[in-house]
Amino acid sequence: MIQRPGNDSLQPLIGKLVQVQDLAPEIKMFGVELENGAGQHFKNYEPGQFAFISAFGTGEAPFGIASTSDRGNILEFAVQRLGSVTTALHEMSEGDHVGIRGPLGNAFPMTMFEGKDLLVIGGGIGAAPLRPVIHSVLDNQEKYGELNILMAARDPSLHVFHDEYESWQESNNTNLHLIVDQADDNWEHDEGLITELIQKVAPSAKDTVAIVCGPPIMIYYVSKLLNEIGFIGGQQYVTLEARMHCGIGKCGRCNIDKTLICVDGPVFSMDQVDAFSESYL
Amino acid sequence: MKFISSHELIALLQNILNEQILYAPVLVGGVELYQEIEHVEDIFWNFTRPGKSVKEVVFPQTETLMVIKESDKNLTVHENISNEKTVIFGVRPCDARGMQALDSMFFHTDPIDSYYAARRNNSVLIGLSCSEMLDTCFCTSMGGMPDDPSCMDIMLTVVDDGYLVEVMSDAGANLLDGIELSDKAIDKPKPPIQSVVEVPEVENIQNIFASKLWMQEGERCLSCRICAYVCPTCRCFDIQDENLSSANGKNQSIRLRCWDSCSSHAYRQIAGGHNPREIKADRLRNRILCKLKYYAEQYGPQACTGCGRCISACPVNIDITEIMGALMEVEAI
Repeated sequence: MIQRPGNDSLQPLIGKLVQVQDLAPEIKMFGVELENGAGQHFKNYEPGQFAFISAFGTGEAPFGIASTSDRGNILEFAVQRLGSVTTALHEMSEGDHVGIRGPLGNAFPMTMFEGKDLLVIGGGIGAAPLRPVIHSVLDNQEKYGELNILMAARDPSLHVFHDEYESWQESNNTNLHLIVDQADDNWEHDEGLITELIQKVAPSAKDTVAIVCGPPIMIYYVSKLLNEIGFIGGQQYVTLEARMHCGIGKCGRCNIDKTLICVDGPVFSMDQVDAFSESYL
Repeated sequence: MKFISSHELIALLQNILNEQILYAPVLVGGVELYQEIEHVEDIFWNFTRPGKSVKEVVFPQTETLMVIKESDKNLTVHENISNEKTVIFGVRPCDARGMQALDSMFFHTDPIDSYYAARRNNSVLIGLSCSEMLDTCFCTSMGGMPDDPSCMDIMLTVVDDGYLVEVMSDAGANLLDGIELSDKAIDKPKPPIQSVVEVPEVENIQNIFASKLWMQEGERCLSCRICAYVCPTCRCFDIQDENLSSANGKNQSIRLRCWDSCSSHAYRQIAGGHNPREIKADRLRNRILCKLKYYAEQYGPQACTGCGRCISACPVNIDITEIMGALMEVEAI
């Protein structure tokens, strides 16, 4: 009954913060390097998976992993200061210790997406779990068709990965579309809702998969619009968020019907989401 | 059948107490509870159905999962696994079945919960058949019986001068090792049986979801969560850190696990405040359907054993058997 710490028990691996960077007001990027060979647990994690970060003495909380295993050993997390754990993390600096449990949950079915055009739609901090999808596609461009990235945020400062936008935009076969709810004088892109941006981009549903992450209400309206455009449920993938304590199917917190977001998700096709009796909204 | 006299049983319990931890029913301020006892005389023999189930012996209301020590350079995490040999005396069949339901999730479904598994593997259950069913008891409707020995290590049933003994496992046999049980040429007394409540199949989930029942029943729920606390199968938990005072330049904290309940408002609330189960009706529906449907689909056994404690404990008389009756009518639509 010996268990490995990390992804099949509640015992965290120990890691060190090697990078703390401001991404936006109240949002920081944390780079974590695992110690004592624990990095092997994260050798082959996949886009869409998540991990728990412990700020010892305060608690632990789950976050989508914002990096890809192909780009190095450092695990990256974009964390918005919202509650006690995220506040404790925001007060930490490089060299501090954190606990890590993961990789947890399922992943985006990237091999199923091969040969298809991709529509990646993110809202606010919802961009974080989409970043590894984007990196993965950009690093394996021969496998995928056209990549359209649509990013929305409340205001220009909340576009969390703006530092990378230029490199995304300049990649082959890739188009970046940006929108904010509330523009300022320097904003050169669109103003309005993500649904308006989708209408402007006017994607074809043919051989295309949409990958969506954002607040539940955004997922609802984006999916409604994608359905109207002709995307069936199986062409839409979302990651759902839930409060959870264990991440391994025990604590009961994250259920929708009998589905546990932590082990059955967090990635679902809209077919699956639409079949839930209980609302995710 | 095998038989043990009352004074032999007391001697057995005394022997256990000399070497192991013994939980038994005691009377605390007029309330029956299972507690660790120091003397066999502390046992309350006329107990019926203690206020809380035996769940907390293997899944404590609050437990320390790990101790974290941090200095400038080092951080260490020590897991706190309990390996103490424990015997629980006076387990009721409903609670033993509840423990079986917890087993199916905590250690028959991967990954194993090492904290629960350690306690459970070191626990031996000595059951005692119920000689009466309380008004709120309905184990017979949920597939149980007041004298069901199936989830026990040893099952005792009261007869004149002592107890009939059923040895149900190796752990039970080991506990009785060296004790000469006599044979008694009598049958096990017939168990009391309460009128049977009909249990809905919960197939027609769409109708059940849309039922007005949840709003009617949920409206008076106080979200006090006592139903989950007394339930032998409710197993939701929260994990919290607690900072202990730092000494010698070292920070020390503990990570705790404590019971949680899906009736609480914050249960499904996510970062930023959004809550898919904002209203009490939705939370009550989740709790009841977890009992009657989800848990069994996820882990096998149904997560209600008919102990009836939630009915007795609810301050606003929400009654799961009444809800089941109403669901039968919804099913029929």
